[in-house]
Amino acid sequence: MTEQNTTTIPGLTWYGSGQSALHGDLLERFRQIDLMFVRIAESFRATDIALPPLISVHQLQKIDYFSSFPHLFTAAVALDPEEANLRLFKATAGESSNGLQLTELAPVTEVLVPAACYPLYIHIQGTEVAPSAIFTTRANCFRREKEYVPLKRQWGFTMREIICIGSETEVRAFLDSSRSMLNRLFAKLSLDVSWEQATDPFFDPGTNPRYVMQRVDPVKFEMIRSGLSIGSVNFHRQYFGEAFKIEHDGGPAFSGCVAFGLERWLWALLDQFGSDLHRWPDLSAEVVV
Amino acid sequence: MSDVLLIRETLRSWITERSRKSLPSPLLDDTALIEQGILSSVQVMDVILLIERMRNRPVEVDELKPGSFRDINSIVRTFFQGEA
Repeated sequence: MTEQNTTTIPGLTWYGSGQSALHGDLLERFRQIDLMFVRIAESFRATDIALPPLISVHQLQKIDYFSSFPHLFTAAVALDPEEANLRLFKATAGESSNGLQLTELAPVTEVLVPAACYPLYIHIQGTEVAPSAIFTTRANCFRREKEYVPLKRQWGFTMREIICIGSETEVRAFLDSSRSMLNRLFAKLSLDVSWEQATDPFFDPGTNPRYVMQRVDPVKFEMIRSGLSIGSVNFHRQYFGEAFKIEHDGGPAFSGCVAFGLERWLWALLDQFGSDLHRWPDLSAEVVV
Repeated sequence: MSDVLLIRETLRSWITERSRKSLPSPLLDDTALIEQGILSSVQVMDVILLIERMRNRPVEVDELKPGSFRDINSIVRTFFQGEA
C-alpha cells in the first residue's frame, strides 16, 4: 500500500512512492510558476504542443537512451494478452506482499516519458524545419532514483520545456536570450540561483562518448540552488537533428532547450520564502516581461 | 622530427583520415575540431585511445576539461605537456 503523508507544508501531500499531490494555494503557486515559463515561451512566439505520455522504445534507441540511462527509465509493461496467461495472473495477483506478481509479459515497446522534449523530436522527425521554430511543451516525466525527497527528487515530476530548432546561430541566440531573461527573473523574484556547468546523469559515465563530449565541450548549464538543479539550458548541436532526421537548411538541424523542473521551482521558492505563501514575491506572468 | 612535431603530425593525419567531414587542407593546428563538427563524440573517445597509446599511459576523466579537444594545439597542451 502506498503511504501518504501530509507534510508540514500546507497543500503538499507526499506519497512514499516518490510522488506528491498539490492542492489549495500551493497548487495555485505551482500553476503560476508554470505560467511564468509559458510567458517566456510566448515572448519567443513558441508553438504550444501537448505530446503523449508514452514514448517508443524504438525511437529512444536512436539516441542510445537505454545504454546511457538504464538506471532512469520506467517501462510501461503489460501482460501477455494470451488468455491462459491472464487467468494465471488473475489466480495469483495479490498473493505477493512485495509488489505485483506478474506472469508472462507482452513485449515492452514503450516507456514513460523521461524528459519533456524527447517526444517533440520524435513528433517532427523526418521533416524539414524552415525557418527555425520554437516550441513549448509540458510533461509529467518519470525517472527512477535511489531515493526520493518531496519536491526535490521525485519518481514522477513535471517538466516545462522551451525548445528551439534551426540553425546554429538561431539556437545559440535563443539560449543566450533565455538565459538573460532568466537572470532578470531571478533578480525580480530575489531568488538566489547560480549557473553551473553540468553533464547529464549518464550511467557508467567514463565509458560514454556523450558524457566525455559534455565534459570537453560544455553544452549544459544548470540553474542551481543549494546544490540542486531547478532547471537547465542545453545546446544539443545536431545530435537530435541527426538522430531523428530533422533537417534545416540542407543539413541536420541544430537544437537547444530550456527545461524547468516545476516541483523543484516550488521547492526553491519554499526554501527561500517559507511556507507562508503570502510572503512570496509576485509570480504573475507579467513579472517575466 | 622532434617529439612534438611527431605528435602533431600523428594527430593531424589520424583526424584527417577518419573525419566524416571533408576537411580544409591542410588541417591546421588551430582548426576548431568539435565546433566545426570534425570530431564526433565517438571519435573523441577514439582520439583518447590514440593519446593513451601515444603517451603510453591512460587518460583520466579528471584530465578532460572544457576545451581539451578544441583543436590540435589544445590536445597537445592538455595531454602531452611533458612531451611538448
